Amino acid sequence: MTSATAVLRRTNVLGVATMLLLLGAWELLIRVGLLDFQNLPAPSAVAARAQQLLASGELMTNLLHTLRVTLLGWVLASVIGIGLGLVLGLWRPAWRWSMASFELLRAVPPISLVPLALLVFGFSVRTELTLIVYASAWPVLVNTIEGVRTVRPELRDVARTLHLSRRETLLKLTLPAAMPSIVVGLQLGLSLALVLAVVAELVGNPSGLGNALILAQLALRPEEMFAYVFTIGLLGIALNAAFRQIVAWTLTSAKPLPGKVS
Amino acid sequence: MTTLGVGPADAASPVEPGERRRTTPARGTRTGSLPPLRGLLPLVVFLASWQLVASRLSPFFPPPSDWASALLDLSRSGVLLPAAFATVITFLLGLVAASVLGTVLGLAVGASARTDRALQPTLEYARAMPPAAVVPIATLLLGFTGTMKVVVVTSAAIWSILLNTRSGVRQLNPVMFEMARSLQLGRFERVRKVTFPALLPSIFLGVRVAAPVALVITLLVEILTQVDGVGALIAQSQRNYEFAQGYGLILVAGLFALLVNALVSMLQARVMRHRPPA
Amino acid sequence: MTVERSADVSSAALGTQPRSVACQCRNASVDLGSRAGPRRILGDINFDLHEGEFVAILGRSGSGKTTLLRVLGGLVDPTPESVVTFHGRPVAGPPQDVVFVFQNYAASLLPWRTVHNNVALGLEGKVPVAVKRARISESLATVGLEARAADYPWQLSGGMQQRVQLARSLAMRPRGLLMDEPFGSLDAMTKASLQDQLQQVHQHTGATIAFVTHDIDEAVFLSDRILVLDGSPATIAHEIPVELPRPRDQLATKELPEFLRLRRQVYDAIVETGD
Repeated sequence: MTSATAVLRRTNVLGVATMLLLLGAWELLIRVGLLDFQNLPAPSAVAARAQQLLASGELMTNLLHTLRVTLLGWVLASVIGIGLGLVLGLWRPAWRWSMASFELLRAVPPISLVPLALLVFGFSVRTELTLIVYASAWPVLVNTIEGVRTVRPELRDVARTLHLSRRETLLKLTLPAAMPSIVVGLQLGLSLALVLAVVAELVGNPSGLGNALILAQLALRPEEMFAYVFTIGLLGIALNAAFRQIVAWTLTSAKPLPGKVS
Repeated sequence: MTTLGVGPADAASPVEPGERRRTTPARGTRTGSLPPLRGLLPLVVFLASWQLVASRLSPFFPPPSDWASALLDLSRSGVLLPAAFATVITFLLGLVAASVLGTVLGLAVGASARTDRALQPTLEYARAMPPAAVVPIATLLLGFTGTMKVVVVTSAAIWSILLNTRSGVRQLNPVMFEMARSLQLGRFERVRKVTFPALLPSIFLGVRVAAPVALVITLLVEILTQVDGVGALIAQSQRNYEFAQGYGLILVAGLFALLVNALVSMLQARVMRHRPPA
Repeated sequence: MTVERSADVSSAALGTQPRSVACQCRNASVDLGSRAGPRRILGDINFDLHEGEFVAILGRSGSGKTTLLRVLGGLVDPTPESVVTFHGRPVAGPPQDVVFVFQNYAASLLPWRTVHNNVALGLEGKVPVAVKRARISESLATVGLEARAADYPWQLSGGMQQRVQLARSLAMRPRGLLMDEPFGSLDAMTKASLQDQLQQVHQHTGATIAFVTHDIDEAVFLSDRILVLDGSPATIAHEIPVELPRPRDQLATKELPEFLRLRRQVYDAIVETGD
């Protein structure tokens, strides 16, 4: 990881070649006319359009909006999820007297709330943020509860023999032990946050990548649609990679999931 | 001959025949036992107080009793049942297609390191794509059709099945296949009696994650495109400012999700029956 | 017993009865691929297994003894110039009438099949149902596991699981058994009882057995002849006949001066070939 050769060695040449080959095949099939989907643009046309969007700053504006909202919503959701998760996971009465309610609420797919949120909050960033926070708080909450509840009993004995205070036990044993599980929840929450951001922008909020995608669709500009879809995919990959890198730097013991789509 | 097997290892052999069932917990459901039912109290209190103060609030929050009557109206007018049916069909077709494709692709990338390496970036990218972004493209290419819905659901639900099958293939012990060859099992017999049953738990682990995803994406695609289904009804109630109906339909979606989870758990328990506890 | 590596088998009647050759191994070599290209693991191995003979293959770990057994079992292909035959037919893939018994019993038993159905695996569709049932209960009885037929392998102890694998092999009515350190991961008591059982099976069925082990006592106790592998690539460095009276007993046989002498001889052979 330190030198350029190491980076090169880690690069999956075969995989990149396959990707380029697939794109090339797509381009070729369109040029020859074998692939005859109405409205399917060639990759070169998509790239050209993406370049225009980049030059005009349109793409960047939309990208930044989506990125900002996603991250803000995710951070809020994580704070809520971890906080509530610690309460429910560590304080037995709270768990006993409310967990079933949470489980039932969790069953409701957040996606189904999108139209109602639109009605209540209108076409605004508030709708988007609310949806993101609501949806991505769940995996964080569930994984935090799971993490602190399944801390190995031996660790509690360790805490007692070392005469640690409750605060110390929480900060030095319980939280670190629960961290791998919490990290998984955070990662799931992050990808959900992006999904919900795009959904909210698709149906309502008047800015962001999802909104640009819908506008391109309404204007019947397939190249632009593909340009935005590819951008969304790249954003997804980048967020995931950044998260994993940060985890790798900060927590050596925690292993995040290779990734999951919800 | 019974005297031959009295080594200490044999003495330690567990399980009376009658106890067998109890010692096979379903994998994955062990952690976090079910919370007690009294935990439902907050939700009940919340809904009850909503019912009591709702009418004085705003049209945004109609009381739960209104949700029920709105649902009843919807079902009486013959709209709800066909919509529910459309949702279930899309969900099922998408999940089945994802299972078949995911298993086949998972086998391909699991069995050959080269194929895995070649496809990895492409698959990684496709997986990171939020399904919502795929919807406009799918409608662009396939139109507002049932096929489009199933394709979107499949493309979102396939990943966990693919990944689990891949890791399942990698964990298969070659001894299993050498044993099968040594017992003169044919190629087809080996697949049917050894490979497939050995992979079944992995595939099913993937299906377990994929099922709720498939349901959510079914609703998503219906909300976004308004092509049939419960999701389309939810979107319509938003357009027509039918708040009570909207809440009622959200409830229906929640019930679907609970049902799917219960069914998958049951199926998993069946698949995992007679398997060693993990 | 026959001990010589004579090509003229019909006259090799050193013991009481003349025996025909079950397995022939001529100039057998094996190359296995490694990062630095193919590497010769076994070089120019020559020996015969006689019908009904019990041969132990000994060697240090990594000496290629398992590879040799896998060549006999058709699980590893030797170099083209090698000649390996079982019952007169050249080995290409696992030979008929010969069953391989793996050290890793857990991986070789299918966890989703009951003990009964695991034993049935090699018979399904090949013999009539009634014959299949009879053979299964017979072979389960031979290893003393009739009572556990309805259980799943993972509910049994390690020793029992290995007996299930043995039963499954016996149900095939094999003329040859290739056993790869079958008792290597079992505790001493279980190992002893399984050795006794294997001895009885051998007497009963008259099967030819090649038995890979790294346990000198086990090799001397069970076999008619011991092949010691050594070198790189490995060859047969020593061939030691074992002429202890049968049936053998865990205590009485192991106290015989001849047993102790053989044990010493084998030990010296291995140490000498080593350093």
